Amino acid sequence: MKIVRFGDSALLLNFEQKIDEAINNQVLSLYKQLQEIKEVTFLIPAYCSLTVGFSENTSFKTLSKQIEELNSKSQSTDLELNSKIIEIPVCYQTPYALDMNEVSEKTGLTQQEIIDTHCQETYKVYMLGFVAGFAYLGSLPEQLFCPRKEEPRKEVLVGSVGLAGLQTGIYPANAPGGWQIIGRTPIPTFNPKAEKPTLFKAGDAVKFKPISTSEFEEIEKRVSSNTFNLEEYYG
Amino acid sequence: MARLHFLKSGLQTTIQDLGRQGVQDLGIPINGTMDKASAQLANQLAGNDANSPVLEIALLGPKIQFEDPCQIAITGADLSAEINGNTIPLFRTINIEHGDVLSFGKPLTGCRAYLAINGKWDIQSWLGSCSASATNTAQTTPDSIIVKDQILEIIRGKEQPIIAISESERLSLSIEAPIKVYPGPEFDAFSDIEKQSFFGNSFTIGPDSNRMGYRLKEALSGYTQKKEVISSGVIPGTIQITNSGQPIVLMADAQTTGGYPRIANVSSNDLDRLAQFKPGDKVKFELISFK
Repeated sequence: MKIVRFGDSALLLNFEQKIDEAINNQVLSLYKQLQEIKEVTFLIPAYCSLTVGFSENTSFKTLSKQIEELNSKSQSTDLELNSKIIEIPVCYQTPYALDMNEVSEKTGLTQQEIIDTHCQETYKVYMLGFVAGFAYLGSLPEQLFCPRKEEPRKEVLVGSVGLAGLQTGIYPANAPGGWQIIGRTPIPTFNPKAEKPTLFKAGDAVKFKPISTSEFEEIEKRVSSNTFNLEEYYG
Repeated sequence: MARLHFLKSGLQTTIQDLGRQGVQDLGIPINGTMDKASAQLANQLAGNDANSPVLEIALLGPKIQFEDPCQIAITGADLSAEINGNTIPLFRTINIEHGDVLSFGKPLTGCRAYLAINGKWDIQSWLGSCSASATNTAQTTPDSIIVKDQILEIIRGKEQPIIAISESERLSLSIEAPIKVYPGPEFDAFSDIEKQSFFGNSFTIGPDSNRMGYRLKEALSGYTQKKEVISSGVIPGTIQITNSGQPIVLMADAQTTGGYPRIANVSSNDLDRLAQFKPGDKVKFELISFK
């Protein structure tokens, strides 16, 4: 781990620069521990880096020393991640799977193979970013590797499930984006009214479950009439 | 209670405080005032706490009818503020009478003015801040992007003695002096020629610049595209270089992560001053080292 300065009121912890579960666990382990330091004003955990904002009541030097100490003591294997798997229902059919044909061409897989492969894996939330509540999930099975779209869309609809490289993710709101869209979930992953506004946090485990168009519409109806209980759904 | 009626909204008038820090790990931007020093000064002159909301007024200001007496202060850019058609001083506590109309005219210097009003503002906040949020605005901060005919209610605070801050006591809002920056995380990934181009040239603030970021028009000369950075944190003041070689300076509403190389970070003091640059203005950067 290397500590570098990042402006006059933040620092950046850089780990080995690659997308790797063990490296990300080191990030999340320090992310968790640094929440306890009161001079830390904000934290941005990412794949293999952690941005740490700090107040005027500490200095780069003091905080770096504290971080070095914590890092030498902690083992990423100590990290207790949420073991409960969050299951996300996804409809992989028209009109939701906008880029299914393109993904099929690029990967050489049939639609059914794409769905089966996407649903077989349990993914880890490596980080949140891009827009409020957007979770970067990985890693996709190699067979699903697919580059981003050449022309990003001006607007991707909320709930859209996309692929980019070896990452997959769900749009928490309507937003521009270049991910290949293979389906949509009817459940909200971002709820500004909730005390915890995002369904996911870094370190969570996520699995996708295929649903039919009629199941999608049924859940969507319950969501819009406020009779859908997320907690009940996840048991 | 003091009631304000917005007869005109202005070009971009928003309610801001110091922002929502500590939720960037959820991908939620900080938001908050662009020129923090000016906003805090306005609150001080109006007798409010530093984190009280203010109106951030960009270039073309609103027209506001005060339905009750209250005390206000305006700092930051000089946008030709008038009460009932008469020019009023900036950086000074001002007593408002029932029926007074505050309006703005031609922008003379700077880009963003701050209007503080003495008392407790009756507005919705989200995650500890009432700063206008681009995230589900209607649900999170519906009152914070000012629209025509909006009513703002303020529970008046303790009467404040009149204070004025002379020009010599104010922080400079000049757009002439270069903006001081620290080397960014990927500084060493840039060639000497690219660095010379970054620090030797002036850049024009592009027309599509906003509270998320200032897009600079000119590209670094001889820029060769760098390897993509694995998505990593960005903060207000981070200067990224896009694939075309054009710099983007991230501002208060910036997203929390990005993948472009980060050449520099603007010092906190100069980030306030940079908020007073408007599209078309030229900016130069000066490298400073960490103390």
